[in-house]
Amino acid sequence: MLQPALPPPIRETGFAFWLKRNLFSNWWNSLISLASLVIIVYTLISLLRWMVFEAHWEIVWQNLRLFATYRYPTELLWRPMSCVALILFLFGLSAGVGKGGIGQIVFKAFYWLMGFCLAITLISLFLFPSVRWLWLIAIIAGFAGYSLAKFWPNVAMYLSILWGLSWFVCLFLMLGFSGESGPMQYVSPGMWGGIQLTFFLSVTGIALAFPLGIALALGRQSKLPAIKYFCITYIEIIRGAPLITWLFTASLLLPLFLGGIRPEALIRAQVAIILFAAAYMAENVRGGLQAIPKGQREAAHALGLTPWDSMRLIVLPQALRAVIPAIVGLFIGLFKDTSLVTIVGLHDLFAVVLGVANQPEAKQIPGGIVRELFIVMSLFYWFFCYRMSVASKQLEKELGLGTR
Amino acid sequence: MSDAAIKNVRADAPVGGSRIIEIEELNKWYGEFHVLRNINLSVNKGEVVVVIGPSGSGKSTLIRCINRLEEHQKGKITVDNIELTDDVRNIDKIRRETGMVFQSFNLFPHLSVMENVTLAPIRVRKMKKSEAEQKAMYYLEKVKIPEQAQKYPGQLSGGQQQRVAIARALTMEPKVMLFDEPTSALDPEVVGEVLEVMVNLAKEGMTMIVVTHEMGFAREVGDRVVFMDAGQVVEVGTPEHFFVNPQEERTKSFLSKIL
Repeated sequence: MLQPALPPPIRETGFAFWLKRNLFSNWWNSLISLASLVIIVYTLISLLRWMVFEAHWEIVWQNLRLFATYRYPTELLWRPMSCVALILFLFGLSAGVGKGGIGQIVFKAFYWLMGFCLAITLISLFLFPSVRWLWLIAIIAGFAGYSLAKFWPNVAMYLSILWGLSWFVCLFLMLGFSGESGPMQYVSPGMWGGIQLTFFLSVTGIALAFPLGIALALGRQSKLPAIKYFCITYIEIIRGAPLITWLFTASLLLPLFLGGIRPEALIRAQVAIILFAAAYMAENVRGGLQAIPKGQREAAHALGLTPWDSMRLIVLPQALRAVIPAIVGLFIGLFKDTSLVTIVGLHDLFAVVLGVANQPEAKQIPGGIVRELFIVMSLFYWFFCYRMSVASKQLEKELGLGTR
Repeated sequence: MSDAAIKNVRADAPVGGSRIIEIEELNKWYGEFHVLRNINLSVNKGEVVVVIGPSGSGKSTLIRCINRLEEHQKGKITVDNIELTDDVRNIDKIRRETGMVFQSFNLFPHLSVMENVTLAPIRVRKMKKSEAEQKAMYYLEKVKIPEQAQKYPGQLSGGQQQRVAIARALTMEPKVMLFDEPTSALDPEVVGEVLEVMVNLAKEGMTMIVVTHEMGFAREVGDRVVFMDAGQVVEVGTPEHFFVNPQEERTKSFLSKIL
């Protein structure tokens, strides 16, 4: 016997259905939804009204140069801008030679960074004549790097050397050498600051804490008791106190240990950041090392690979892949934690923002301008942290052990 | 079992052949546990020795001692006239001449099949990359998966992975191949393809020590079968001897359970 065809099921997709199922499924849920809607709309309207009619964005606007480079002499701004150009150029080269999945990730990061810089360039073209040519050159350097890599892919071989060298070139450009005047006059690190300093501290911190952390993790697993216990002691002591303590220690106690020699505040803070991050890095890497099955090392040994080769080529690459999220998390933390150097007298972005908030002109405004400044600063931090987080997800997907 | 119960069955290779592995009075302990007791075993060039026995009898430990994945405490192991001592140079030399295939494959998951196979020739034998890749293709063809060279281990079936592992060991052109239960982790329907590769290898004259539960393999290509129990060699003989007329009670009861 043939059954009559059933009517089609009630439509279960579409916005209206979604609303009904999730927000208005019964009278009680409907009530909560409506109440929430009222609160959200009210908050948004208040926020928008404040942003459009009351906030004093012009103070943020007027101080952009301070946020970027603090008291770096205006006539020498071409020096930090050359560093930006150099970095964009190298980034362009890296993005241009990248192959496969990793290449894609580098390219996307480059794309975003160029977007960020392009936005600044467009703004300065119209509003900041003193730096507009410098920004334009930096952007062109980025494109030039990318195009050069397309014509000359063999540059890939020299990239790591070039990146390493660029750090010294940037340091040289920023510092200059002795002399009271002239284009290459000395600019003491005390004059550096703002975003420039934030980036310097975090990039150098990441670049040096990474290998140091790996070395500590390997040392902790060493068969030689002296090395092993040194690493354990180091890691546990460093992790036993907050970064702020170590910044103070480096600032106040280090000169005592060094017999009165007092390195630049910047160096002291940088060393504290590197040593601090390395201890955490070491523990992350150790977690990865322990996750690699014993059979991997055995297979490497059975093939005759030396212990160093089997660690370097077999165990470590897998261990690092296994802990990418933790490592990137650490880098994101380090990037934000550089704001703590404020308390040892350095002027990173956070310190400059506080300084601007306390300017007499700002104080005259009723309620101050802390809110405006903090919103802008948070957006800056958020943009770069979020971008790192995105890169981490992409890396994980590309290299993670799970997908292979 | 007390030490008084130790039998000392010698598993000597036939006289006249040229000895490649010589194990004398081998003893090993894991803490208090006496895992290998007075093992005497020698292997001639081109011989296929199959080691069987219940789990925990020390067969895997025995072959893992031969390339120093496990350290022995007493006795002497000589491979290709090199004595296995604490001297790292000797260990390296022996590992270069012995290939090993593991129960769980142990391919390197972050490297492609080709990179897995060429890694050791390039790093250890200092071969040129192109030469190593040529050699790798030769052995990948031998194990019948040249078309998988660019894939990653995770994309292959268990049987294919184990064949890659065999090719990886062979590309080092070792003098001896050690197989540690190579088919135990495989689905039944792919055991055959791995055994086929091993049979061909044996027929080509490779010296092999195979720890396995595959009695068909032992019967087809084994020159000698060594039965181990509780860390000692209980009985040694040709496959015919074992499967037709085993002497020891312990051997009989083991074979009756698995055949």
